[in-house]
Amino acid sequence: MTSSALISFDRVGHSYRSNAGVLVPALADVSLDIAQGEFVALLGPSGCGKSTLLYLLGGFVPIRDGEIRVAGKPVTGPGRDRGVVFQSFALFPWKTVRQNVRYGLERMSLPRAEQEARTARLIDMVHLNGFEDHFPLQLSGGMRQRVAIARTLAVDPAILLMDEPFGALDAQTREIMHEELLAIMARRPMTTVFVTHDVREAVYLADRVAVMSARPGHIKEVVTIDLPGRTEPGVQKTAAFGAYVERLWGLVKNEAVQAAAGR
Amino acid sequence: MIGRLGRALEATGTVLVLLVVWHFVAASGAFSDFLLPSPEAVAARIIDDALSGDVFASLARTVVTALTGFAAAGLVGAALGIGMARVRLVRWFFDPLVSIGYPMPKIAFLPVFLLWIGPNFASQVTIVAFSAVFPVAVATRAGAEGVERTLLWSARSLGTSAGQLLWQIVLPAVVPQMLTGLQVALPVALITTIVAEMLTGGDGIGGAMLGAMRFADSPGVFAGIIVIAATGFVLIRTMEVIRRRMLRWHAEAAS
Amino acid sequence: MSRSATVVGAVKPKLDRPREKGTAVVNWLVRWFPLAILAITWEAAPRLGLVNPASLPPLSVVVAALGRLAMGGDLLANGLKSLFRLVCGLGLAILAGVPLGLTMAWFRPVRAVFGPLVRCLYPMPKSALIPVLLLWLGLGDLSKITLIFLGCLLPVLISTTNGVRGVEPAMIWSARSLGRSRLAALFGVALPAAMPDVLAGIRSALAMSFVLLVSSEYLMSRDGLGYLISFLGDGGAYDGMFAAVLVVSILGFAADRAFNAVSRRALAWRET
Repeated sequence: MTSSALISFDRVGHSYRSNAGVLVPALADVSLDIAQGEFVALLGPSGCGKSTLLYLLGGFVPIRDGEIRVAGKPVTGPGRDRGVVFQSFALFPWKTVRQNVRYGLERMSLPRAEQEARTARLIDMVHLNGFEDHFPLQLSGGMRQRVAIARTLAVDPAILLMDEPFGALDAQTREIMHEELLAIMARRPMTTVFVTHDVREAVYLADRVAVMSARPGHIKEVVTIDLPGRTEPGVQKTAAFGAYVERLWGLVKNEAVQAAAGR
Repeated sequence: MIGRLGRALEATGTVLVLLVVWHFVAASGAFSDFLLPSPEAVAARIIDDALSGDVFASLARTVVTALTGFAAAGLVGAALGIGMARVRLVRWFFDPLVSIGYPMPKIAFLPVFLLWIGPNFASQVTIVAFSAVFPVAVATRAGAEGVERTLLWSARSLGTSAGQLLWQIVLPAVVPQMLTGLQVALPVALITTIVAEMLTGGDGIGGAMLGAMRFADSPGVFAGIIVIAATGFVLIRTMEVIRRRMLRWHAEAAS
Repeated sequence: MSRSATVVGAVKPKLDRPREKGTAVVNWLVRWFPLAILAITWEAAPRLGLVNPASLPPLSVVVAALGRLAMGGDLLANGLKSLFRLVCGLGLAILAGVPLGLTMAWFRPVRAVFGPLVRCLYPMPKSALIPVLLLWLGLGDLSKITLIFLGCLLPVLISTTNGVRGVEPAMIWSARSLGRSRLAALFGVALPAAMPDVLAGIRSALAMSFVLLVSSEYLMSRDGLGYLISFLGDGGAYDGMFAAVLVVSILGFAADRAFNAVSRRALAWRET
């Protein structure tokens, strides 16, 4: 298992210093292997450290306890092999759509024509033709997140990290983005780690769902989602889908209640 | 476009109304010509000085002093603000100094700079820069501390090195707040320039006004006020235009 | 369920409340230590001959001069004079600026007439008025008070207008729908809601008032702290000059801090 895993968390822990100066444990003893091409959702109540786990994998937050390996090498910092999409979009507001998408390409030694071609292809993929010269603040939330996805995919990362990427969008837009994400994944499969607190979203998108418990966060259970014909319309109304949602919701609800009672 | 034309018309109209009121008050004889010269007399004086080139010489001197000090304040303030936001040692050393210097009346140090540097261009620029640097530093620091970490992280994961972050991300992200600081600093620079020129003499408009006052030449004093008011208006409006140009991407430009 | 959700959301790391008193003192010392470095440098540089003691008397000498100025009564007499001018000029600017700002915000015709005037006069560097005020009003208090008044009026007025105009319409509508008159809504709802802006305007006017006070006392006065600085400087009493500069700086800083403390108390209803 370990040898075939693209990403492996090995007894990862993390604590942060509170305002009062005390060390608060946020994550404890997290171990998880993710195979090449797998879509794994990290699901849990707010404050369970699921985003922190993603930031550790991204190399944004230094790893002090345990180890995270990507393709066998320990993570020591951010890298182009791990693309990231944030809930807040994190677009460069002073750059146009085109400049945002091209940003990562400019840092690879590619000929200019190749950069342009790739940028155009990605903007096309996320259906933003005609908006190339708009600034992010002139776009809707859904469009901004498409730009962020295109910007990340432009540098061709092996792994896609998504931190509640659709959490800031309205319900309809979120549905559309789910379908588009699956369509993109079908065309260009990628190992994906997806943080969410939305049970239905996790079931709809993920191959496996890791349910996290709060304070200090650790992985409580990993549920494999086996939904044939995921991209068919109406899959969300099938009994199998409903059963998965029910089961995961039970696990998460328990955690939320326990976390509250523990305070 | 209509908005800009409207503003220009509005300003012109206001100036015209003020001139008419001034004319009738002066013509009413309620004040002596010495206390309130007529706008015609002042205009004649400005035209005379313009024809002889005196206005342009003293105006150039004043504007160069003000803008040199302002530019120095901008550079030092921006560097200090970003340094305070990102380098712990810089923050530790300068935080108390800036928090005391920011509200303090910097003009009180003018005699100190005159003592150290002498009554010349250098001391004028120094006091202008010293007066204007604090708003820039404080605003830039606030901006640099407010740069979202996800912006920095995104840039890193797209292949930006830690060293490039400052130029690639922090600096552009800080521009709106830095401009706000500069917009506070510009009037301060102008006020300080005038006072410094009045106190040190010299060739600027402030010096010319004080000279005119000493010779009880009230059209000269009023001419100075008009020229400096117009200069202030143009410089501050120019700054606003620069802000709009630079912040085409910003939320305030969309509205 | 909903109860537990709110509790989860509210959890914040507040474990050891009683922070140790000793740590607080140490933190305070660490925070302000750079000032001590500055003071030591000021004392040592002239003593070690790094700078000419005539241009920068050591701090201790300046403090001694400060003591002499204070004992001789010069400091108090000139300080009170300056304070009087400042309070009159700034006070009048607030008394005139806040009502004018309110009127401009509330009545469109008033705004149409005075708005352009304000926008036209605001960018003018007010220190350019010093010579003409001297011509008109002489060397006494009136010229300084007028200058400070004119310099502080527009910042107060503009921030009041902007503050009132920035109040959420819903707030005023709900007051009106509860039967308040337009005027009652202005004083009962709009003015309190605009208070943060009004106070911010007064704060920047306070800083401006010090600048104009000191500038005008340099140039057209026979008393006041600005006069004291230039008098001592002209007479070559540099230790006294530095002492007076120090006093003015500390006063400006202290006034800002005091105003800030008072306005924060006045705005206690705001979160954070």
